[in-house]
Amino acid sequence: MSLATADPFRPPVPTTVAHPAPQVRLAARGLVKRFGATVALDGVDLDLADGESLAVMGPSGSGKSTLLHCLAGILAPDQGGVALRGRDVSSGSDRERSLLRRRHYGFVFQFGQLLSELPAVENVALPAMLLGTSRREATERARQWLASLGLAGMEGRRPGELSGGQAQRVAVARALITGPDVVFADEPTGALDQATGADVMRVLTEATRAAGASLVVVTHDESVAAWCSRRLVIVDGREVRGPLAGAR
Amino acid sequence: MKAVLALAPRLQRSGGSLTTALAVVAFAVTTAMGLSVLGGLLGFIDRADRVPEGLDSHGVSAHENAELYVILATIAVVLLVVPLVSLAGAAARMGVARRDARLATLRLLGVTAREVRVVTAVETAAQGLAGAVLGIAGYGLLMPVWTRISFQGRPFDAGELWVGFAGIGGALVVVPLVAAASALVSLRRVVVSPLGVARRQTPPALSWLRTLGLLAAVGAFGLVVGAAGGMPQMIAVALLVGLLGTVFATLNLVGPWIVGVVGRVMAAAARTPATLLAARRLTDDPRAAWRVVGGLGMAAFVAGCLSVLPMFETTGEDPAADVITRDIVTGGVLTLAIAFAVAAVSAGIMQASSVLDRKREYALQRLAGAPVELFDAARRREVLAPLLLVTGTSSGVALLLVVLVIGTSGVTNVSGLALVLGFLAGGVALMLAATESSRPLLRSVLRETVVRAD
Repeated sequence: MSLATADPFRPPVPTTVAHPAPQVRLAARGLVKRFGATVALDGVDLDLADGESLAVMGPSGSGKSTLLHCLAGILAPDQGGVALRGRDVSSGSDRERSLLRRRHYGFVFQFGQLLSELPAVENVALPAMLLGTSRREATERARQWLASLGLAGMEGRRPGELSGGQAQRVAVARALITGPDVVFADEPTGALDQATGADVMRVLTEATRAAGASLVVVTHDESVAAWCSRRLVIVDGREVRGPLAGAR
Repeated sequence: MKAVLALAPRLQRSGGSLTTALAVVAFAVTTAMGLSVLGGLLGFIDRADRVPEGLDSHGVSAHENAELYVILATIAVVLLVVPLVSLAGAAARMGVARRDARLATLRLLGVTAREVRVVTAVETAAQGLAGAVLGIAGYGLLMPVWTRISFQGRPFDAGELWVGFAGIGGALVVVPLVAAASALVSLRRVVVSPLGVARRQTPPALSWLRTLGLLAAVGAFGLVVGAAGGMPQMIAVALLVGLLGTVFATLNLVGPWIVGVVGRVMAAAARTPATLLAARRLTDDPRAAWRVVGGLGMAAFVAGCLSVLPMFETTGEDPAADVITRDIVTGGVLTLAIAFAVAAVSAGIMQASSVLDRKREYALQRLAGAPVELFDAARRREVLAPLLLVTGTSSGVALLLVVLVIGTSGVTNVSGLALVLGFLAGGVALMLAATESSRPLLRSVLRETVVRAD
């Protein structure tokens, strides 16, 4: 696979095009990850352009969550590398990768990432506070995000007092409040019914695009993948090309 | 019922073997310390029974002196029973977050409230029994330590400190019973409203009315002190010791309310994520936070009561009086040392349990980039703020009782106040060390739960 616009592992090439094509924001090359004798990823390549949304699909145990963890800097690959805007992010210490996630990435998990003792507005404000934003400003931004995602009036509710769909909207706001480059969503609708899941995917894709972030969604659900602009199908740790991998 | 009972061991395993181990250790510490303290009391009673009536060459009744030791040892037992029972109760409720969820699911599946109670009681009583057995062994292992300490001019021998087979048998019955009773009390939420537990709603704030119990107990103590002159001595002593224990026990009612107030004040003023998180945890479950700091709160009460120790100075003129004076100081320091040790064990175990209960939450926050230092700082603040306030309140109440009994001379003695402050500073440091002891566990938990199998 070749890099369409720029190779993130090389210095960026100046361009004179008036309306440049989207740049590659996140790129992975030859990712290999083993757990003991099990090869979870076996040479996966990937490019994610600015504002693009990518569905990573595959059956259970295919390696899609491992791919997400490697892309997000949670796991270091055994071979290959990941670059964000041309900067290698797959190596470095655990602390450096943790800082990278805090500054440049947002996360939406299946369930459980909201802190049960914090009300919705403080759950959303927390990542901004961790980056040094004052509590007052972080809370104000969190209120705006919640309102924009249809949760005005629910700022004081704790996660246990929200429905599954509402909790995932809070999680989307929490992922976007820091203005991340990429949002990673791991089975974001896995605990929801079909209608609520569709609603959450609409909110996730629209809000992410509006915020100028790229999106990686790990799912095994066709209807969830249909919300993304492109899909990557993984089986046994390798990319599978064919009808299944076609764009929507 | 049989099918549900058969689930008990599986529930216990799914609650986590480390949590079970921590609960058993807590029950063991309670048993070992409880038997040691009881052995000491029996030793003094045994010595008093063997001292002949009559006056010695100095015109002093050795028998009355020996009975004074029994009264002082009884006070020490009263001061230590509440922290020990609190530790056992805390152990019984350990891991309740995970067990709550599972038992609530059982309730939603149609298991009756009675069956849930039986499963929990059996499971926790089994932990209590295992802890009691280990604690009895610990009591035996501690015996050489206690037999080095001299009272009444000579150290106790093991025979004097032996609680008898009745004491051992009592421990094997009482500890599992206390464990089961505490677990059943903590189960009320599941039994009454399984949906309430499953959904984790905002708990209502505890009422300030809890303070009335403490005020009433202190008031009653003051009244009895005032009227003690007109009462038979034994009745006055029994009433005062009983009310001392009551004041002590009501601290358990007021403590969580104080912690809740501290949490709300902290939350309003929080500027950093760690303080905000710590504050919300305190308001979310002030009883759990009290279980961590309550041990030292009670030890602080003991320290406050012992502020009178420096008033007991040896003069060199009366050897018998000097022995009593030295023994009062030794006994006081020993009581305080045991209270602090129990508090530190309690805090360490509660913190470890809290880390295990929040395992998934910590792991997901870490995946999202939250620094591990955030969890450390939040846990530290969650302990330190209520610790300082609760310690101050408890020692203040104790000093008030001292004033009621012996007047202001009990608290204007500089050495006495220095002793209290010194012990409290040491106790706070010990508690913080106990809190920090869960850091390696947190890191190990984060290492283990990073990746979800897909």
